[in-house]
Amino acid sequence: MADNQFGRDAVSRRKFIAATGAVGAVALAGCSETSDEDGDGELSGQVIVKGSSTVFPISDEMAQRFMEEYPKVNVTTDSTGSGGGFENHFCPGDADINGASRPIKSEEEDHCAENDVTPMEMHIAGDALTVAVSPDNDWVDSMTFDELAQIWGDDSATLWSDVNSDWPDKELELYGPDTTSGTYDWFTENVNGGSHRTEYEGTEDDNTIIQGLENSPYAMGYFGYAYYSENEDRVKALDIAESESDDPASPSLPAAKDGTYPLARPLFVYPSEEAVQREPVYEFMKFYLENSNADWIADEVGYVPANQDMVDENMSALESAAGE
Amino acid sequence: MATTDDSAGAWFGSDGQVSQLRGLLFKAGCLGATLLALFLVFVFLVYVAVDAIEPGTADPAWWATVAATVAVPAVALAAYYYRYDPRAGEVAYTAVGLPIAATLLAGGVGIVFRHIVSPHEWLALVVAALVAYGALEVHDRVRRAGAFERAAIGAIVLVVTIVGLPGLVPSLRSLILSLPVLPMAPLSLLGTFVVPVALAVGWYVRRERESERAGLIAGGATVAAAALGAVAGPVAGVSWTTWLILTTVVGVPVGLYVERVLSGGEGVSGLALPVALAAGVVVCAVVVETAGFTGPDVWLDWEFLTNAHNRTPREAGIYPALVGSVMMIIVVALAAFPVGVGAAIYLEEYAPTGGLLGSFVELVEINIANLAGVPSVVYGLLGLALFINAGGLQPGIVIVGGLTVALLILPIVIVSAQEAIRAVPDSQRQAAYGMGATRWQTVRTVVLPRAMPGILTGTILALGRAIGETAPLLMVGVAAVVRISPTSFFGLFSAMPRQLYSWAQLAKPDFYHGVLAAGVLVLLIVLLMMNGTAILLRNKYQRRD
Repeated sequence: MADNQFGRDAVSRRKFIAATGAVGAVALAGCSETSDEDGDGELSGQVIVKGSSTVFPISDEMAQRFMEEYPKVNVTTDSTGSGGGFENHFCPGDADINGASRPIKSEEEDHCAENDVTPMEMHIAGDALTVAVSPDNDWVDSMTFDELAQIWGDDSATLWSDVNSDWPDKELELYGPDTTSGTYDWFTENVNGGSHRTEYEGTEDDNTIIQGLENSPYAMGYFGYAYYSENEDRVKALDIAESESDDPASPSLPAAKDGTYPLARPLFVYPSEEAVQREPVYEFMKFYLENSNADWIADEVGYVPANQDMVDENMSALESAAGE
Repeated sequence: MATTDDSAGAWFGSDGQVSQLRGLLFKAGCLGATLLALFLVFVFLVYVAVDAIEPGTADPAWWATVAATVAVPAVALAAYYYRYDPRAGEVAYTAVGLPIAATLLAGGVGIVFRHIVSPHEWLALVVAALVAYGALEVHDRVRRAGAFERAAIGAIVLVVTIVGLPGLVPSLRSLILSLPVLPMAPLSLLGTFVVPVALAVGWYVRRERESERAGLIAGGATVAAAALGAVAGPVAGVSWTTWLILTTVVGVPVGLYVERVLSGGEGVSGLALPVALAAGVVVCAVVVETAGFTGPDVWLDWEFLTNAHNRTPREAGIYPALVGSVMMIIVVALAAFPVGVGAAIYLEEYAPTGGLLGSFVELVEINIANLAGVPSVVYGLLGLALFINAGGLQPGIVIVGGLTVALLILPIVIVSAQEAIRAVPDSQRQAAYGMGATRWQTVRTVVLPRAMPGILTGTILALGRAIGETAPLLMVGVAAVVRISPTSFFGLFSAMPRQLYSWAQLAKPDFYHGVLAAGVLVLLIVLLMMNGTAILLRNKYQRRD
């Protein structure tokens, strides 16, 4: 509009207003429609799922299937680690549901209670935690809990030969989940007997572990079965025995289901009682629990589906919480 | 190049030679560094492109067809331009690039009208703005008021027409939106988007051609082409709104360029390249279809651009993250630009330079420059503390992500704006003062217009960094998977780099090879567009000097 003083623009402005007015009038007179309203009756809203990267694949698949039925409900899923989810998102009240690969700790329950968040424990699937080594590793096919604890329990073992003199005199390269991970907590508690070494490569990204194992014959790591089932040709899973006298069992979903695989562990989701009062969260949880015994959990995600008793128990807990 | 000049020979010593070894080694070293850098980047790009396109999955015959129908004619034409008609080469370069860039821009405009301002909201905004402008104009004509009254009236008009007082006075804009009857969405856009563009085109053509008639034709053609979409859109298989945006954003610049080349009469043969390319693609498609050659299994396809994340790699897409990135960048630009440029103007034009205060200002400036190098995770923590813990905003929403990333680029914006302002010659300021201008008038009419292209270039480059940031988004709780595009600035969102990061973590190898690579390409193209804009601005500015 710098040309105003030359009078050139005056014409164009008058025309501009006239033309806009004319077109606007035509538009109004020509065809018009009532302003559209949101299709009411259809469920809408948001559901925020955080928590374990182990549970993430199930929750994400659930979210995808749920949103095919309820396209206006925005279910966002995230993998923050079980502990990270409780600490930073769920207990402060910023998330509706937290996935966890271990039961909630008492200090986490206290933290939640401070913010008036009441977690409900729901056991929705099972995992066969997998310990794997490089495919080039030809000296070990199975391990006992005792050997695992020697490697992972503290920092004393640095060479393979420190654990078993038949094994090579090479440095252990260890990859595992981060300390915020529920997998880490479960392994610490149930295999190592309460401690975990600090000298290892800890990561939230299980692909990093797989890559580490692939790249070095002296590497070792542990992660959820789902990552193993997607990468069976890239790493070698170890058979596990609880003690010398037991038969080692290889990780598989049937073995985890019938309890013959010793590293079978439960997976949980924790909706908060406050969140399930909201219609979208309630509907999503209902969908989640009803489908938690579906076959696709084993076929497409790689976990042991829940059995009917677990579904019934979870459903009645959900109904009683929502009915309050 | 030995120095054999006789007169200089004595000076250099008995053999008349200067040792060139050091110079040659230095040159070779520089060449090596260049080649290494290019090689590393090139290898990375090839790696990503191969993952995204998977050329190995196509029939060799398919590649042969593509080469014969598209590549060979294009190379032949390029060789011809290079050898015989360099001017036509320039034209060909622009004529191929312009439609592509304009189409990408049209995609951006489409996203804006689909998710950010609906056509009706846009209609209401434009009408309200026109009314506001009219009211101010009338006030200006009726009364010769002082600066204070004008500012007050301006604020009142703005509130009444556009902003409104929540709960007390509805704005004109919201009144229009609540009307029971509104024109159809495409008609609203025709009136409030196409017509202004057509007026601008008409004005531009009239000025260029110095002909009233040419301007009228150009403006009329723009509106007519867009209006034709009511009939032609459904025939072509697109909605009227899509047609309208395409004709306005792609058709107008391409049409203007072609018209200018044709009427200029220079390098007209350059226009043959895009035509040859388009014809080649059509012929290629026909041949491939009839002969039944299978093409490559590309990851980066239309589905990828329009789908949300899916647990099946082949069906996964980037659309919600793309929309999220666009909305986030709007927040970043709106937050970082005024604050950053304001701070730069103060520091350069007003801040004390001498004495104790001057040293303090210098200290502040050094700290700002240092802040530009602080790791982005730290800004994520800052955003978490500031906006979520202290500000009480919900984690993972567009405004939180945008403001956090805006904090991150603020130092870069300030420093680059300072550089641009400093580059304005002092003589111009002195000249303005000499003519009796106040400091405010000098800044407004002399310094800012001169510095603006530089400021914009710096800001756009900073925005380019902003669009690729992941770590701050992780810290403020942007979720790994968001399947619905945000509908407001307070909605949950995902951004492209965040989506890439979560694909990199998924168990299925297809995700961290194919899908991830396709996402990287999309992000790179968006970045290229932004940096290209910055370069165009800079070139335009440099040419004017």
